[in-house]
Amino acid sequence: MKTRFLFPYWFRYLGLACFLAHIPIMLFFKKYHNMDSPDTGLFTGSHVFFIFTTLMVTIGLFLFAFSKEKIEDEQIMQLRRDSLQWAVYFNYIVLIATLIFTEHMEIGHIMMLNMWTLLLFFIFRFQWSIIRNNWSAKKEG
Amino acid sequence: MKNNIRVERAIKNITQADLAEQVGVSRQTINTIESNRYVPSTVLALKISRIFGKPLEEIFMLEEGD
Repeated sequence: MKTRFLFPYWFRYLGLACFLAHIPIMLFFKKYHNMDSPDTGLFTGSHVFFIFTTLMVTIGLFLFAFSKEKIEDEQIMQLRRDSLQWAVYFNYIVLIATLIFTEHMEIGHIMMLNMWTLLLFFIFRFQWSIIRNNWSAKKEG
Repeated sequence: MKNNIRVERAIKNITQADLAEQVGVSRQTINTIESNRYVPSTVLALKISRIFGKPLEEIFMLEEGD
């Protein structure tokens, strides 16, 4: 089946690697770098590091979310569309709720997290529906 | 929409996996079609009926409310 706008299957492992790799980098940086007085300004050490790790997580999640499944067929496409719609709805409900119940000083953090939550909700929902299908297929043998 | 793929499979004595391979989808997809949780596209429905050598209407039929 022809699919558009999707990465090859093995890109999911690349995405996972990107996502996992940022954890030790982050821990290492936190240990050896004084986080209390970060240098300010564009393209300074902290800023480049911030861009680098943020992009690593984002690209990692993105590749994982939008790589093809092993057997890519029309039902998987439908599950993907459903999950995407569900994730957008859910993300906005959570976003609106958090905006209402937090003080405006923290909005920057919420927006930052929001960059990833949509992808995360989509990944969880999509993988969950695939797992559920596999279970019921297994049950019926 | 109802279907009697399960019956036709039994007549032809093929498994869900066999049918899935012949029409180029995953076994899970055949499973969800059989249990009426997924309505296949016209292309896939035509492919399935061709495997069983029967017209489309003998394999897939509309239900009340469709």
